Amino acid sequence: MSNLVNPAILTIANAQFNLEKKLAQSVGDGMANRQVARIKNALESLGLHIQDPQGEVYNETRTDLEASIDGPSTENLRVVSVIKPIIFFKEEQKLLLVQRGVVIVSAV
Amino acid sequence: MTIDFGIDLGTTNSLIAHYKEGKVEVYKNPIGWKNTLPSVVAFRKDRVIVGDKAREYVEKDPSNVFGFFKRKMGTPETFTVPNLNADKSPIELSALVLNELKNFIVDAPIPDAVVITIPASFDTIQSNATKKAGYEAGFQEVVLLQEPVAASLAFANSGAETKVLEGQWIVYDLGGGTFDAALVKLEEGEMCVLDHQGDNYLGGLDFDNLIIENLIAPYIEAHGTFQNFYTDLKGKNGRLNRLYYELLFKAEEAKIQLSVSNVAEVEIETEDDLGNDFECVVPVRRQDFEALIRPKIESTVNMVLSLLETNGLTPADLNQVVLVGGSTYIPYVRAQIEQALGVPVNFSVDPTTAVALGAAYYAGGKTKQQNTNPVSQTLAKGSIEVNMAFAKTSQETTEYFTAELKGLSKGMNYRITREDGGYDSGLKPAQTRISEMLPLVRNAFNTFQLRFFDAKSNLIHSDASPIGIIQGKYNLHGQPLPNDICLEVDDVDINATRLEMVFEKNSILPLKKTLFRTISRTINKGSDDSVIINVLEGSSGASPSSCLPLGIISISGRDIPFNLVKGSDVEITLEISESRDLKINVWFAMTSQELENTFNPSERYLNIDKLRQEVKELLFRARKNLEKLEQREDYERAGRLQRLRHELEELAGMLPKLMDEDSGDLKYQMEEQKRQIAQSLDLLFKVDRTEAIRETYFEAKRRCEASVESIDSKVYKTRFEEIIKNEREYLNGDNIAIIKHKIEDLNTLSWEIEQKNPKILAMYFHYFSSIPNDRYLNPDKAQQLKDIGEKALERQNYDELTSIIYGLLAILPSSEKQSAEVAALTGLR
Repeated sequence: MSNLVNPAILTIANAQFNLEKKLAQSVGDGMANRQVARIKNALESLGLHIQDPQGEVYNETRTDLEASIDGPSTENLRVVSVIKPIIFFKEEQKLLLVQRGVVIVSAV
Repeated sequence: MTIDFGIDLGTTNSLIAHYKEGKVEVYKNPIGWKNTLPSVVAFRKDRVIVGDKAREYVEKDPSNVFGFFKRKMGTPETFTVPNLNADKSPIELSALVLNELKNFIVDAPIPDAVVITIPASFDTIQSNATKKAGYEAGFQEVVLLQEPVAASLAFANSGAETKVLEGQWIVYDLGGGTFDAALVKLEEGEMCVLDHQGDNYLGGLDFDNLIIENLIAPYIEAHGTFQNFYTDLKGKNGRLNRLYYELLFKAEEAKIQLSVSNVAEVEIETEDDLGNDFECVVPVRRQDFEALIRPKIESTVNMVLSLLETNGLTPADLNQVVLVGGSTYIPYVRAQIEQALGVPVNFSVDPTTAVALGAAYYAGGKTKQQNTNPVSQTLAKGSIEVNMAFAKTSQETTEYFTAELKGLSKGMNYRITREDGGYDSGLKPAQTRISEMLPLVRNAFNTFQLRFFDAKSNLIHSDASPIGIIQGKYNLHGQPLPNDICLEVDDVDINATRLEMVFEKNSILPLKKTLFRTISRTINKGSDDSVIINVLEGSSGASPSSCLPLGIISISGRDIPFNLVKGSDVEITLEISESRDLKINVWFAMTSQELENTFNPSERYLNIDKLRQEVKELLFRARKNLEKLEQREDYERAGRLQRLRHELEELAGMLPKLMDEDSGDLKYQMEEQKRQIAQSLDLLFKVDRTEAIRETYFEAKRRCEASVESIDSKVYKTRFEEIIKNEREYLNGDNIAIIKHKIEDLNTLSWEIEQKNPKILAMYFHYFSSIPNDRYLNPDKAQQLKDIGEKALERQNYDELTSIIYGLLAILPSSEKQSAEVAALTGLR
């Protein structure tokens, strides 16, 4: 989306997000959790701000999300599944959206 | 004056491009940074949305959301909008898309004239309808251009030089949802479309569905417990409807991946019919994908052949086939066309933007009919007075905003957007009072812009200032840190410790940070040596012993299952709560040991071992410096230092009385006393230390500058300039650590350059050769390396010589200074 961040870095950020989600479902494996946290830390030090929109309210004003609406209703929507997280790039305290979150939303 | 702006008003997507000084550029949507704007308009309850957001609602709210209206241009058909209780014509909908495209323009005034492309199939009525849409969008002049011609212009102008297209060619346009083929000819220097054919329901989206239906679904059914996977996926209210949307996204990603790989993998995670978790990775092979789309591509080739036949031509009469539309990225499509027609295919221009680029090229050479002033710089008449109310700080993820407006006229709209591009209210009717729930990015300063537009989407002046809301930890009601919070780390070069800032003064609580460090020396199992994680409060530029200790965690050789080797990782997480509790969590990767403690600053925590070490170190420092001052005959400072030394000796004399488990106040009193002495010492020698480090810095800079000048390389010169950038600030600041880093950077750069200089390399080698063998860790190896080095020098093989120097360096023991007092360090760097 933006040329500010190397696409390969975004790929790493998405993989880190998926790993973190996956590890959160299982118990134990402290070592893996630590390594994933370490990658996240490194990405944040590059200015990336990764946001998980799971459970957040969704409506048509959320241009930080690319949504597929599940079910017939288009009101009272919430994010029920996150395929890609929202990624901002922070430069001199200013945020810029570099990747829209890809999500599935549904009425709650 | 020329028109300069071109718009590809597409059936599925639209784009806008600008011609400037011989170059064309496609604008990106400031919201989401995409080139394309979906040609979809949604009339939600209280706002109008155009583009990506509108497309999301197409299937779910079809009565209020409209796409593909381009197909209805020039017809009397209208679209009833229940949410507005009104009808909208295809012209009005197209005008809304055109207006939205104006918002993409960021570096130029909004134009009053524009070139808009139309399909080759458009008749006069449809063409006039497109012109009318342009006028409704506020353009005063609209010039139309056929899409295949626009695409051809983009190809003709691609590359360094303008290429002359000769004879006749086919423009093959396979997009996301439509296919068009046009026969274009150059006649007397003018391009014209001779004929065309197409299919309005064929494109990339069909290919994605084919992947899901024929490759992914059968694989899942074969590997999991699913009776009717595809029906559950696509059927109305099917159990797996949610997964279908995910698969559509992943199928598209796989399709893109197959353009460069032979296999793409689609990861699936769902529940099977029995309610168990089901996970698998579906391999999507290029050959299977190609077999699936073969009939579709064949049908497009047949349309091209039929187009040629109708015009009495054969493929041999064509010079080339120009490829347009995102689906022509697929290598199979390119290969099939080339093979079936036997004509070279041209894909030298990005097929998704070719039409817009061509329109802009055309606009760049098209003179305006009338001379009117651009619209945006002189804002539309009228001025709106805005009285805003909102919370400037918030702990919530959305915040209420409201404003009272004065000076409104009929048909005016407002729009609020967030600066980072993550929020857009869409166009909403402006009333005397407006309100909106604004979503906030967590832990950030959110800035929103409120803008007003007249009925023709011209920007109207208002006195609205940006809306700034701080979310989360930056809440100004939070407590700021009164001092820097630092970690004590080793400075092995000078055999002392220094402070590394973790949280800066005035940061707002709560704070959390994880640091990744390495062990600076090996801690042997069973030894008394230890690693100390010491967190202090004070100025990061001061010496560690002059700061207030907040919390300390140590691990000694007696506590470890095996040696903690130099260089192994340590992970330190520091957390300070709003109530100022400090939590330190330390994890040693090598031994997998985790230590954690929460320190309440109201209970000052003291490590007596550490206190003893510090007093010893201060005393050593005081004695050493006293000699220096006396030598320099600086009796004034020597006198002050003498008094401090005396105090330290008294303190050291009391130390043996301290018990490890002392529960009284004595240790705190002694610690406070030590801290005050250390601060006085710091003050006394601050000038000296800064001077010394500056001298070292200038020495390193001189060496580096000379190296850079000795070699004619722009890269090294830039690197040197980058290092010394802001020199004034860091040399005048009180953070010695930064100056040390700069010295390291300069030395590294010097060494890199020197390695390329034979004379300097030879000098280094002679220096190492002159060191007697018995001073090396491995004397035999040292001799061997020296011999090989001599030969390398004779042969002038400088690469080999460099590796010999590294080899000798590796077997040279660390300097003696490191061993004597190393136990006083933290063991961390």
